[in-house]
Amino acid sequence: MIGAPMRIMKIVGAIICVLLQIILAPYITIGFAMPNFILAFVLVCALLEPSNPDYILPFVLGLIFDLISAGTIGALTFVCVLFTFVLSKLFILINNDTLFIPLALLALGCFCSEIAYGFLLILCGMDVSFLEAFMYRMLPCGLYDTVICLIAYPILLRVLSAQGGPGDISILS
Amino acid sequence: MARSFQEMGSRISSVLLIVFLCISVLLMVCFSREGEDGLLHGLQSRFLMVSTPIQTIGAYAGAGIEAAQEGAADASASEETLSALRDRNEELTNLLTQAEEYRLEAERLRGLLDIKDAYDIEGVTGNVIGRSSDAWNQTITIDVGSANGVENGMSVMGPNGVIGQIISTSPGSSVVRLLSDPKSGAAAMVQSSRTDGVVRGSLTGSLYLTNVEAGSSLAVGDVILTSGLGGSYIKGLLIGTIVRIDGSPTDGMQSILVAANEEVSSLEEVIVVFSASSDVTVSTVPKASADTSSSGEGDEAGNQAGGES
Repeated sequence: MIGAPMRIMKIVGAIICVLLQIILAPYITIGFAMPNFILAFVLVCALLEPSNPDYILPFVLGLIFDLISAGTIGALTFVCVLFTFVLSKLFILINNDTLFIPLALLALGCFCSEIAYGFLLILCGMDVSFLEAFMYRMLPCGLYDTVICLIAYPILLRVLSAQGGPGDISILS
Repeated sequence: MARSFQEMGSRISSVLLIVFLCISVLLMVCFSREGEDGLLHGLQSRFLMVSTPIQTIGAYAGAGIEAAQEGAADASASEETLSALRDRNEELTNLLTQAEEYRLEAERLRGLLDIKDAYDIEGVTGNVIGRSSDAWNQTITIDVGSANGVENGMSVMGPNGVIGQIISTSPGSSVVRLLSDPKSGAAAMVQSSRTDGVVRGSLTGSLYLTNVEAGSSLAVGDVILTSGLGGSYIKGLLIGTIVRIDGSPTDGMQSILVAANEEVSSLEEVIVVFSASSDVTVSTVPKASADTSSSGEGDEAGNQAGGES
């Protein structure tokens, strides 16, 4: 059962992420990299409550991203749902109550999800080579998303903990 | 009891996971297979339009970010100096900024008017009000739409040449897929030799002339125009100039880099072309022809290519 603080935080966070993606993301590009706030939020949420992953939020957020971008509908939806599952299971398997594991998983998740998203776009007809996509989109975007995740995860953990949610703040100390 | 609830929750979760993954795959397949007029493309187009008003806020956010950067730079000066100069400078700065804005706007609009005259264009002028919100697509949103006569597939031009094509419209706005987008493809021809090809975008934002017949004689500096084949773009619109040619012309594996005549990142006004004269010569187009200084990469590439051709 998802707790009330978690649910509220997820809904508020999701709205903020969609707005940031539309309003802010186009203006804070660095080189070829544009942040994907939606993907970053979904990955962070997967680690905040790994024992009971919520698949509705990643599905809805991914679909919104696909609809507001000019890309293939369903691609980021698939990636968000899949990586919510993969990250939450991995976290349960290797968590040792230190901050290193979630942060390492987030970094890995960001890169792998960007690679998966790019791969799906190429499969769906984007006329670019995998190497080009890897060099100019997957790698820089993955790095940008990682930075956002690494900032967002401790903040959300602290917020959730203060609200009496399931976040275990002890790993921050 | 609690355990059975937990098991049931876990089972529901697994079912949801599988269902959502299947729906996603189904959506991807349908989207890839349906045409531009398909249901999912239409839905996406409507969502793009809904997000347009929110995107305009982004323009203010962009200005805010710039202001923050300026603020950070000012913080390094002493407070005494700043306060002494601030009042005196404020009025003059405002006036100067306003005057500079008017001057730049007039310059840009004059450029658009020039190209409108040169091509005898019938069309509508619009302002850029938004840019793509993801890294994989290169689009811009403009503030003219179907209420102004804009339709899907129409060509869009900046002051120095064609920049893309309308992919979706609403009454008050339209989305333009830029030529530099990997999904873009414009039937093109080399002005001097009339060789046909296709100009494609790439993830780096560079344009490449592809599908050129083996043995065609091409040279750095050749001007590339839309050929009008396939009907996607109006014939004779300026795209750019060849700045680098790699590979041999006989093997058909040439890589031909085209420097776009338009720096899209700085565009603020564009023309949506309803109709244009196709017998224009590039020499009549202002600031166009062999001007390869539009992008840094193009410049560099052009210099490198000096000896190759």
